Amino acid sequence: MKSLPARQEQYQGVMDIPNEMQHCSVMQSHKGRSRDGHPLLSVVDDDESVRESLPDLIKEFGFAARAFSSAEEFLSSGSVDETSCLILDIAMPGMSGPELHQELKRLGQQIPVIFITGQRDETIRARVLKQCAAGLLLKPFSDVDLLAAIETALQGM
Amino acid sequence: MKKLGQDRVHEIKHLQRCINDLVSLMALPAIWSGHEPSQIVEMLLDALLNMLGLEFVCARLDDPVTAAPVEILRVAESCKLKVPRQDIGVALAGWLKRDREIPLPPTSAFGEKISIVPVPLGVHGEIGMIVVGSERENFPSQTESLLLTVAANQASIALREAVLLNEQKQIASELDRRVVQRTAELASTNEELRREIAERKLAETLLSQSHAQAVRSEEKWRSVFENSAVGVALADLNGRFIGTNPVFQKMVGYTDDELRQLTFLEITHEDNVEHNRALIRDLVGGKRQQFQVENQYRRKDGQAVWARNNVSILPGTDREPRFLMALSEDITQRKLSEDALAKARLELTKVASITSLGVLTASIAHEVNQPLSGIITNANTCLRMLSADPANIDGARETVRRTIRDGRRASEVITRLRTLYSKKDPIVEAMDLNEAAREVTALSSTEIQKNGVTLRQELADDLAPAFGDRIQLQQVILNLVRNAVDSMSTIDSRPRELLIRTEWDNENQVRLSVRDSGAGLTPEAADRIFEAFYTTKSDGMGIGLSVSRSIIEAHQGRLWATPNDGPGCTFSFAIPCMPKALADEETGRHPADSAADAA
Repeated sequence: MKSLPARQEQYQGVMDIPNEMQHCSVMQSHKGRSRDGHPLLSVVDDDESVRESLPDLIKEFGFAARAFSSAEEFLSSGSVDETSCLILDIAMPGMSGPELHQELKRLGQQIPVIFITGQRDETIRARVLKQCAAGLLLKPFSDVDLLAAIETALQGM
Repeated sequence: MKKLGQDRVHEIKHLQRCINDLVSLMALPAIWSGHEPSQIVEMLLDALLNMLGLEFVCARLDDPVTAAPVEILRVAESCKLKVPRQDIGVALAGWLKRDREIPLPPTSAFGEKISIVPVPLGVHGEIGMIVVGSERENFPSQTESLLLTVAANQASIALREAVLLNEQKQIASELDRRVVQRTAELASTNEELRREIAERKLAETLLSQSHAQAVRSEEKWRSVFENSAVGVALADLNGRFIGTNPVFQKMVGYTDDELRQLTFLEITHEDNVEHNRALIRDLVGGKRQQFQVENQYRRKDGQAVWARNNVSILPGTDREPRFLMALSEDITQRKLSEDALAKARLELTKVASITSLGVLTASIAHEVNQPLSGIITNANTCLRMLSADPANIDGARETVRRTIRDGRRASEVITRLRTLYSKKDPIVEAMDLNEAAREVTALSSTEIQKNGVTLRQELADDLAPAFGDRIQLQQVILNLVRNAVDSMSTIDSRPRELLIRTEWDNENQVRLSVRDSGAGLTPEAADRIFEAFYTTKSDGMGIGLSVSRSIIEAHQGRLWATPNDGPGCTFSFAIPCMPKALADEETGRHPADSAADAA
């Protein structure tokens, strides 16, 4: 069985970094580091199975990871300053993913954000990417796609 | 430090590829969205060709509108078959057929060993068929089978959505067309109305003049009367005609002389008589000077004609008593188009409710995709932990535990779906269960015939109206019918018979049952068939009966299954209806009512 060749090109629609982001000037330095020296990735998702599984995978990639069940929990956690990259669910009760993204910008926090969503709605996708997100992954996504998105996001630092 | 065996490394890599392929397949619908069915299939074939390293892949797609199948063939560039491309398509014709009766053709046409696998699109292959070919003898492996099934499922959902979208577009454009047509009709009606008002004013002016200058303008008045574009009729206070113009005579089909023997009310359609009588009484009694009414006249030839009438009472003179004048315009055409419009709207509502049946399946697919995310992440993590050096066995065990638990969680999705149905109160209305059943069988008749099933309906004609949500109940009936048809698909030793019956269940409930001559139920299955994710079908999801039971329970009814005396089994549901005593009383009174009407 061959794996699908050149899958990145073929499925660009799923996780490309589109043109409308090129003029965004978000990619500024961010010095987030967890205490053990690995870049800290924070996961914010109301789905418990994502909060359990994703941090383990991220740790396998060699990063530090923490999970939060809501935007509010993340904001009040004290982890905001340490976070190098945020993996953020779009649809959550309370403050939504895009709203948290805006709030972080308002607070002067330039954390690159990778949105994850189970909804295949084109309008949400377009709106999120206009907000200068570092990436957008549709659930379910593969480890390879996630790692690529994280590396792209961290390169902007 | 333990070294991983070569076999295990190989197997882990293999599983990783499988998961990645699975993710690629899950991502396809996002790319497909908005595309035409044939484009969706082309993309699917390309993906499968690459992913599975096939020699060729071919698809037949049934167009639900024209019923003309589209066939698409993809042959790998590296294809080692000596058969020319065009011959591959010909040799595959037998494989692309849906008919399960015909044994699959031999592969000898390809001149060498090849493994060919047909994969149906849609639960019953009603959307189409995919046929893949590989030169590998052990094709398809377990994981390859899984990938093929997932790919076909994803494509089926996307194709159904594409068809639905197309239908909705068609409905929208049809509505637009009718609105434009209707607007044009209204505009022209308005124009006519303006003209009519002008004419009426003219007629009134002339009429008042005629009173003042009765003798002198007699001829002028007569000319207007005779040549008016609208019908004009004069009558005495009893409504007896004393003069009509040619337009009016033509409209009602009587001559002037014949009309002079008749009254307004005698040529008025029986439905409108009382209303008109009251209006004329008001006119004569001085309560009003004039009235406008749209009513039907009965023509001499018995045909009904719609007219808009402006009726006024005109003051008498010394020599003449007061009299009535009606200006009548034939609006039959407009009424017919209004009726056609109402009918079209009704049809469109029906289409909309039928398409909502399809929406249910789409929503299930979407909901089930969600928990798969956790499962895939866990599986990926597990494989990474196992391939690490040293392997993180404890971590892997934990991820496997979570994978299993997430699988269970997926079934909670169905529980949520059930709650959705029990929470969402059905829109309860008095509905005809027989009619609902007839609509469903009409909808499934092609499927029933295609499967060689004989349908018999025994619908009780003394059934009281049931209380329920028609659309939801039709979903249940449709589900039971499909299950019954499926259960007989492998039966060849006896006739495939489907019986749909309605009857009284008790004094307050009506029952509908669906009886098949299929494989029947084992005692073990009979206990579990209503559980979510339990299925006896090779290609079912195990959701239909579980959701059906929720719907019936939300109706304060019950749904159950019983084995037949002979082969097969019967599914029945009973729901509340108008109590028998009340219903008998109603039907008992009806004949008397109609007799009174006739008299």
